[in-house]
Amino acid sequence: MEMIKTVDLHKSFGSLNVLTGVNQSVEKGEVVSIIGPSGGGKSTFLRCLNLLEKPESGKIYFEGTEITGNLTKEEKKAIHEGKMPKPAKVDIDLHRQKMGMVFQHFNVFPHLSVSRNITTAPVMLKGKTQAEADEMAKELLNRVGLLDKYDEMPGNLSGGQKQRLAIVRALAMEPDVMLFDEPTSALDPEMVGEVLDVIKGLVSTGMTSVIVTHEMRFAREVSDRVLFMAEGNILEQGTPEQIFGSPTHPRLKDFLAKVL
Amino acid sequence: MSFTTTVSNVAKILSKYWQVFLIDGLSRTLLLTIIAVSFGVVLGALVALMKMSRFRILRFLFTVYIEVIRGTPILLQLYIFYFVIPQMLPFLKLSPFMWVAIALCINSSAYVSEVIRSGIQAVDKGQTEAARSLGMNANQTMWKIVMPQAIKNILPALGNEFIAILKETSLASTFFVGDLMSKYLEVKGATYLGFECLLIVGCIYLCLTYPLSKLVGYFEKKMSTDSVYAKRKRKHKAAV
Repeated sequence: MEMIKTVDLHKSFGSLNVLTGVNQSVEKGEVVSIIGPSGGGKSTFLRCLNLLEKPESGKIYFEGTEITGNLTKEEKKAIHEGKMPKPAKVDIDLHRQKMGMVFQHFNVFPHLSVSRNITTAPVMLKGKTQAEADEMAKELLNRVGLLDKYDEMPGNLSGGQKQRLAIVRALAMEPDVMLFDEPTSALDPEMVGEVLDVIKGLVSTGMTSVIVTHEMRFAREVSDRVLFMAEGNILEQGTPEQIFGSPTHPRLKDFLAKVL
Repeated sequence: MSFTTTVSNVAKILSKYWQVFLIDGLSRTLLLTIIAVSFGVVLGALVALMKMSRFRILRFLFTVYIEVIRGTPILLQLYIFYFVIPQMLPFLKLSPFMWVAIALCINSSAYVSEVIRSGIQAVDKGQTEAARSLGMNANQTMWKIVMPQAIKNILPALGNEFIAILKETSLASTFFVGDLMSKYLEVKGATYLGFECLLIVGCIYLCLTYPLSKLVGYFEKKMSTDSVYAKRKRKHKAAV
């Protein structure tokens, strides 16, 4: 089953075309890594998936529902002529609840304790009681080895601990898919491992994941499929063996030669 | 005018008029300041919200409001509220003191709104993104995530606004509304000892503003570091 599907996604910042018609889909349970040079549109593509960036044109289907509200020329014409009903307005907040996102700079909430970082959204949005949410927070923190930080403020955590907290904060909403935007790029080298281990553990449970990363070995290890993005589109995709073992696109070959 | 005569004159004036300065004048000045700042904060919060509105026309209108008020002298605004507006609204029978207070409120609202807006916008954009990505809507994000962090930027700046308004109330003496500076004019008229009266009034202002600015500085320092959160441990029982 298709979890996410994008059709002809375009995004530009001013005169800079960042996405130039991306067509892609992610299956349920699939782990997809996106690699490629900086400025190639990887992060923008990921951020478009939950509409933190709004694509100018093109469509995104999440679990079968179109979420951008963008219309093609033909559809606009059909609506104008009354041949098609106007599509209902999409409640993006509802869809975002099912898409967890992890950021490069963690973005944990510094004014809330570790446990409240996790429980605030489920209590507010999913009608959980505080006690239920606290229970879940303990369970999640235990899973990533942070149970002893339950009452701590995030300012007392290391970068790696903050990122693990950010991951379980997203998991507390019980999402159907996790989006990782360079989750280890802002970490000190000795902390990269602990965060990657948490992500590995997570994807091994069958969580559908899209991971933008510069960690090639990691991408090779955990991914079902690797996408190579540059110049605003996906230039090559395939299994990790294909992408890293026998790349065909000259741009990919060039990229791999530089990073490996 | 020797030093000793000045000192003895000050002592004479104080023994006779201390109530005029310290009770009548000071209470009026403080009352004006408190009215101006508290209504200024409420109005300023509304103006700040309007300036960050989704609607272009609102943003435009309130940008004009802020620019006009911050770009014209406060004395001119006092003149307008004292002379022009009561004539335009003759059915509003307010005391001169009230008109001056209203002018100060309006003036303060423009400055406070910029304090609030910049305090909010100084909160890292990643915070909003993280909250939205969890599914919170714009309001929930603002009140649960952004505002609690913006407060630590806003509060010290509001303290500075209080000090600024405290000094600016002296301009209200132009209309003799009974504030500290009006009392200077009053006592000078009775004693013909201008310098001594100025000395006394100046000292009273300084005795208010100096401790206040020290206090603001203390909170500014305390709130500027991220450790403001780190140190605050929750009372909640430990999980393990």
